[in-house]
This record gives sequence, structure tokens and C-alpha cells, in this order.
Amino acid sequence: MRPSLRLLNLEVPSLQGSRALYVCSGCRQEARPRPIAARQFLRHASNADSLSERVRRKIWGTDNPPGEKDPYGGQGVLERKFSKQQPPKQEEVAEQPEEVEDLTLTDASYEPATTWAGLERVGHLNRWNDYPRSEADTYESFAVKTKHNQKGPLSLAAHQAAVEICLMHALNKPLVSVCDVTEHEKPIFDMIYECKIQPNGEWSKALEYPNKRTQDTLAYIFEQIGAQPAAPAAEETAEDLVEASELEENGEIADEPASDSQDAPFFGYQDVQDEGFLSLPLTDAVTKFAYLKRFSQLSGHYFPDPIMQQISTVKQAVAYAQGELNKKPKKLAEYLAEDQRLLSLPNVKIFDKRRTTLHRDDEMGRKKIIEAALRARGLL
Amino acid sequence: MPIQGIRTVASARNGVGAFILQCKQLDFHYCDWAGSSRGMVAYLRHHLHAFAKANPQIEIRVSPRPNKHPVIRGVFVNGREKVICVRNLEPEQIGKKANLLREASGEKLKRTTKPVTSINESVRGIWSPYHGGLNGV
Repeated sequence: MRPSLRLLNLEVPSLQGSRALYVCSGCRQEARPRPIAARQFLRHASNADSLSERVRRKIWGTDNPPGEKDPYGGQGVLERKFSKQQPPKQEEVAEQPEEVEDLTLTDASYEPATTWAGLERVGHLNRWNDYPRSEADTYESFAVKTKHNQKGPLSLAAHQAAVEICLMHALNKPLVSVCDVTEHEKPIFDMIYECKIQPNGEWSKALEYPNKRTQDTLAYIFEQIGAQPAAPAAEETAEDLVEASELEENGEIADEPASDSQDAPFFGYQDVQDEGFLSLPLTDAVTKFAYLKRFSQLSGHYFPDPIMQQISTVKQAVAYAQGELNKKPKKLAEYLAEDQRLLSLPNVKIFDKRRTTLHRDDEMGRKKIIEAALRARGLL
Repeated sequence: MPIQGIRTVASARNGVGAFILQCKQLDFHYCDWAGSSRGMVAYLRHHLHAFAKANPQIEIRVSPRPNKHPVIRGVFVNGREKVICVRNLEPEQIGKKANLLREASGEKLKRTTKPVTSINESVRGIWSPYHGGLNGV
């Protein structure tokens, strides 16, 4: 029995306007067009691509099987009536030449891709991680790449940070902006290295320059860091750098390291000249934050908040970086092994490793027997 | 005159002539990392020497047992072992557990249902059907 829906033949657009003639308002909801997946199984022989037509073609083995195409009689009366009123479809006719054109327009040099490399990525959701990496996505670490743990590099980092903060204090500039430049060039670092710090309790007056030229040069250089003033001239910078290079050439800067140590941390310098910076106070919160930030950047050591609260001098900050302020907790076995009260007792044994059955076999004298048996069997 | 052995008048009882502590060894295991060993570590740091000094007949062994809860293992004269887990216990509680193992006999725990228990033979002896008065059926 043909279903009643067959009469509607909803796939025929000509019936869209005449739906009200056949379907009451209550049934109209059920008569709505179904999804394509469901319509594929409707056995409408009038449709050329219907299932029944495909079965017929398969049975006969040809594309034009004999017999009536629609065994159920084709279109209904009303369908035929409305199909006469509709103009013939021209869409399919218009599509065919386009396909032909596409085929003809294909490039002769086209080669199908064998791998995904180089192909445009399609189908993503326009999220950030779907796009290829851009320049803005490259990561640059705040601190130096290598974490310093030795006393010499840590002292150099602490000295450099102290000199820079002193300079910013003297220039009355924002202290934290010294972190804008992670590493200075060698001539600048040489001048910083030459500076000494007199522990008089004030950051702005503690710095002692080796000569006036170094003072002027450093003041000019650090004037450029942070908020840029009206640029006097780029020539002066060049002149300063030239002077600095002249200083180098003349050997005025003492303790010059080997030339092959350019890649070494702190340009090959081993330790600071004086340790006056260690007694600088870190009582001012702004100075303390700026100093610890710069020292953290140069040394690679992170300062947690509780430690930052404890630190009140530069010496304590260096001590923390060297691991003296929060030493790794000693293991209990090490502690007990040094306890003289326990060592004096003959009935107490302290082991620093887990005791296993092998140890028990050794104590009981079974180990020799086990090993002998294993050797006899060639297993040891 | 032939040598005669001394006739035993009483079987040996621990504690009658001498008392031998049945616990011969105590193993203290701890973990350096885990928080459940916090009390155990404190006990070993501050109280172990007093316990060991008070019990010289017990061999005390301290060894780590990484990533495991702390335990006290008692080895007894009868060859049995008793293990007590002391995770998350305070040092004083651990001291009580160590004392418990120290005073244990090493035997399995038994439920006491009679008011009096004794290892002596019964005065009345074992009942026999061939002795005593026969009752007629």
C-alpha cells in the first residue's frame, strides 16, 4: 500500500503552494519535509535516483532497464497538473557546462600533493592555536637562560644590579626600568664592573665611579633606559661607545678577561672587586622590589614572597641565591647518624637505605647458600 | 655413688626466676617525604634515644621506607612478628605503640572467656569412663 505521504510528494516543489489543499492544519506538522537521510529510503519511483530505480538498474544490469520506470503509476493527478504549470527546470542544465569549464580550466602543471606539508590548513575553528606561529608568539624569557649557582657569578649579578639601581636612584628614574635591558654590551658591563659601592646607607650616594668619563657615560646610557627623553643626538651615543672602545684598547680597564670569553656569563669575569654592595639595605619597598627583580633577572633565581619578606639586605639576597638561607632539609638518617646520644647506644642501628630481604638473607647467613646454589645451576 | 640429676619440682616460668623480655627487636620505618611520617620522624629525633636507653635488651633498627606509611615492626623470641602502622600519629602515640610491642609476648591475640586461666593441670584430672562410680542405666 502506498503511504499517504506519497500523494503529497513533498520533494516536488510545485506542490509547496498547494499543500493547504490536502493537509489539514493538524497534519501539516507531520507532513513537513524530512531530512535528506530519511528521504533516501522513500521508494518514489518517479524520482530518477530513488532506491527502486537503482534496484531496477542493478537487477537488469543496465542504466536503461526495460519496463515502466515507476511501477506505481508515476505522478498523481494533481502533481501532473501542477507540474504543467511550472516552467521546466533550468538549474541542472546550467550546472553541466560549469563542470565542463572547470575541467578545461585545470592547470596542466597541477600535481596532487603526496604529503600535508605546505598545504593550507582548512577546517579549523579560528582559534589562536589553530593558526601558525607568528612573531608575537615567540617566547623570550625574562631571566637569563642559565641559572647561576656559583658564588662568583652570583656576586657579579648582585653587584651589577646594585650599581644599576644606584644609577637609577641618582638619575631619579623609575627603578624597575633597568630590567628592560637584560644584558648590556661588554663595554658597558666593563664600566659597571669598575664601579664600587660605598656602604653609607643611601642608594643614591653609594656609587663610586672610577673616573669622570665613566660616570658621564653610564649616566648617559642609563638616561636612555626606560622613559625616553627628547633624543639629544645619536652621535653622542656613538661617541660614547667609541670612547668606551678606546678605553678598552688602551687597557685602562683592569682585569680584562680573555677575549674568547665573550659567550661566558658576565663576559668571563670571575668575581667582584669589592663587596661593599653586600651591606646595602633593602628596607625601602620600591628599591627592594626593583633590586630583587633585577637580581632575579640576572641570576635566574626566583624569590618567593615569604623569602622576599625575610630579606632586608643585599647580603641576604645573595645568601638566598647561594642556597644558604633555605637549605635543603637534611635527611633523617643523616641527622640520626650524627646524633651522639644514639651513637653511644650499642643496641641502636641506623640505616640510610631501605632494608630488603637480601639484607636479611645476608644477616642470617643464607646469602652464601643462595649464591652457591645459583652458581651450581649456572644462574650467577 | 651414682650421679643423680636434680629432680624438677617446678617447670620454668618466665619471670619466676628471671624475666626475659619476649620482644627482641624493634624496627622503626619512616619516610623522609611523606606527611604521614611527620610524627614518626619527630619521635625518632627526640624520643628514640630515651626508649633505646631504657630497653638495652631490645635491638632497635631505624631504616627508611620511601613512599610508604611509617610502621613499627616487633620481632619476638618465639619467631613471630608484629607490625603496627603509625601513620599520622603523634610522637606520644607512637611511644605508646612501641611500648605495646615491647610488652607483647609475640603470641596471637586470644579472646579470654574464662575468669581464670592457667597452664597448670587440673587437680581433678581428666575424666575417664572406666574409673569412678558407674551409674546404672
